[in-house]
Amino acid sequence: MQRKLANVNAWTVSATVIMILLFLPNLTIVMGIFTPTNENWAHMKEFVLGSFIKTSLILVSTTATLTIIIGLSLAWLIAQYQFPLRGFLKWALILPLSIPPFIGAYTYHGIVNYTGVIQTTLRRLGIEVNHSFFDIMNLGGAIFIYTLFLYPYVYTITRIFLSQQSASLIESARMLGKGPWGTFFQVVIPISRVAIIGGASLVVLEVLNDYGVVKYYGIQTFTTAIFQTWFGLGDIESSIKLAASLMGFVILILMIEKLLRGRRQYSYSTTKVRPLPLISLKGWKARIATGYGLTILSLGFFIPIAQLVDWTILTFGTIPISQYLSYVSNSIMVAGLSATFIILFAVIVGNFSRLVYGKTAKLLPKLSILGYSIPGAVIAVAVVTAFIGLDRFLGPLYQFLGINTTLVLSVSLIMLISAYIIRFFAIGYNAIESGYDKIGTDFRDASRLLGVGLTKTFFKVDLPMLKGAIISGFILVFIDVLKEIPLTLILRPFNFDTLSTKAFQYASDEKIMEASQASLLIVAISALAIVIFYKFLEKEPN
Amino acid sequence: MFISIQNVCFSYPNTDYAALDQFSMTIEKGEVISILGRSGSGKSTILRLLAGLEKPTQGSLTIQEKVIFDNKTFLQPEKRGIGMVFQDYALFPHMTVGENIRFGLFQLKKAQKKKRLKEVLELVELQDYEKRYPHQLSGGQQQRVAIARAIAPNPHLILLDEPFSNLDAELQVKIRKDLREILKKANITSIFVTHDEDDAHALADRIVKLKDGCIDVIGSPCDLLGTQPQPAPTVIPVMEPKDLVSV
Repeated sequence: MQRKLANVNAWTVSATVIMILLFLPNLTIVMGIFTPTNENWAHMKEFVLGSFIKTSLILVSTTATLTIIIGLSLAWLIAQYQFPLRGFLKWALILPLSIPPFIGAYTYHGIVNYTGVIQTTLRRLGIEVNHSFFDIMNLGGAIFIYTLFLYPYVYTITRIFLSQQSASLIESARMLGKGPWGTFFQVVIPISRVAIIGGASLVVLEVLNDYGVVKYYGIQTFTTAIFQTWFGLGDIESSIKLAASLMGFVILILMIEKLLRGRRQYSYSTTKVRPLPLISLKGWKARIATGYGLTILSLGFFIPIAQLVDWTILTFGTIPISQYLSYVSNSIMVAGLSATFIILFAVIVGNFSRLVYGKTAKLLPKLSILGYSIPGAVIAVAVVTAFIGLDRFLGPLYQFLGINTTLVLSVSLIMLISAYIIRFFAIGYNAIESGYDKIGTDFRDASRLLGVGLTKTFFKVDLPMLKGAIISGFILVFIDVLKEIPLTLILRPFNFDTLSTKAFQYASDEKIMEASQASLLIVAISALAIVIFYKFLEKEPN
Repeated sequence: MFISIQNVCFSYPNTDYAALDQFSMTIEKGEVISILGRSGSGKSTILRLLAGLEKPTQGSLTIQEKVIFDNKTFLQPEKRGIGMVFQDYALFPHMTVGENIRFGLFQLKKAQKKKRLKEVLELVELQDYEKRYPHQLSGGQQQRVAIARAIAPNPHLILLDEPFSNLDAELQVKIRKDLREILKKANITSIFVTHDEDDAHALADRIVKLKDGCIDVIGSPCDLLGTQPQPAPTVIPVMEPKDLVSV
């Protein structure tokens, strides 16, 4: 207690306020469980809730399995073997992450439908095909899309882990007489288990959060149901209850993840990073390796990009450039503002967490980063509820100021940006926290022993050294906000459009060609940021 | 008596054993003390407690009659006037050698700062390195910059945490000699921890051997040569916290 009291200062106060504000809106969801049920909810519980759970489970488990198979196999090939185009594939295989799944979904639908390039070409060649074979607007299609555009999460985390941590273990397995397959199954999979599960759980959270793909393909999940209940039935109480169920589902998945990781957080006897020496593949083996990598990359990046470029050329000029400029500037403004606030908050909370001993100080940031695991639609419900409450509370003040409306904050950009901050705080916080971890506390201690106080030390020593983490955290949050769909659709002010809402609307109205221009801009900005980020990450020693 | 450490106890959070148990000793001005012990014996803990980077669970610490810690007082690290040389030096990577050393001299006027910088750079024989960045220096040079930075604000006491652990054997012998000269020339009281008996014998006026958070043996290097560990002399009377005067 005495130890804690000694550290109560401006850092503690501001960090606590930030953490409470980040966490509070989610409480409204939890409170929603206890409100009396109405007819809609009774109906949903009896007839549809079961099928939401079943669909979500199938989506999540199949996608997770497939992304693990693809991500791990690619990570292992790249980390262990030398084959033609390996250097290119190594970073290019991350690129599918720059295509938001909903853009991939409508692009692939456009490629394979009746008027798409595949069926037209086949008809031109005189080949008659069964249309249903090309129907991807179903559960299987959604799984295909998620796998193709989300596998990089598993690939990246596992590859970095394998290439940095595993050299001596894998070489020992070799020396003990294990062949490549034996090494793979008996050493590589068990040691990279934590990395694999870490990557796969990101995939699962993305799938549960997704609104664009399932809405476009007409699949009923929690997220689409939250939207329908809210906007279709105008029943916010039931949508809160749905949101609470989804939150319960997410917490269950996070618990399973923790269980799967178990005590398997292997620690290593050496902290030295030694790269794994590459084994050269020759002949057909090399061709298979290159072919496999290129196939996945083409499906996940080149093919959809080629289609988007084609559509963009076809429709170029149909939408005035000035309109695009406003979408681009809106997107950059909300992404930039959210990223700035998130990094600012993360720096404060991160500094607090390392200054103060005790479990509470470590636990609170963990609670406030829960936001990332809570799907966008749930956060949207929570934030709207909180802001309407706030507007009611501030009503007398509005009257005093002569404002004639009761809703001020809840129709403003402030609400949207607050929601982004809650949703993506974890992304920024993780980057900043690992930055702080890398710096350690010696520099801070050295500065204090030279007579410089905590706050001045922070600005003169910690902040300059944290620059790398700040830049990478900013980029990651920026891309995520740029691609975001459900929150933006629900919470944006009237007539406020971003690149992603516009792309989504065009696609929903079956104007997929028109959607291509906005989509291509999103992909270009994200791809650029991703490449810069990973090139930057690669240079870092750890 | 320049520095007095009385009945200091400490255990790290979330552990149930004491890293330091009823540790007491006094140090005279200008003395070079070496704390010798295996890893985990609590030797670095003493430095961190004196520096104010950790807080003892009980006991008291006094420098020049001024209480820096007891049950009522806890002086923040930046107010203690203690310098420290970290095991991996902790030189600020974004500052040059000159900026690193000037960092602790913020209370001096510009001309004085310049003078003091020149003095300490001469002391560690690195006059021509002011504009270099830490990564452009060798391990031995980095260490000397760290010493210069710690000495520059004229601390009452300088703490050195395993000062030779990052140096190769040949350099170690040379730097050991240099360090003793620097410390004696500057007449600064110093405590350094090490696990290497040779370091302790070559540098220290007095050696404290630690075992499991308690003093095992204490004495001058000559006294300790070839001796078996003896119980610590219990010369310091145990004082109740209420007897201590707080500031």
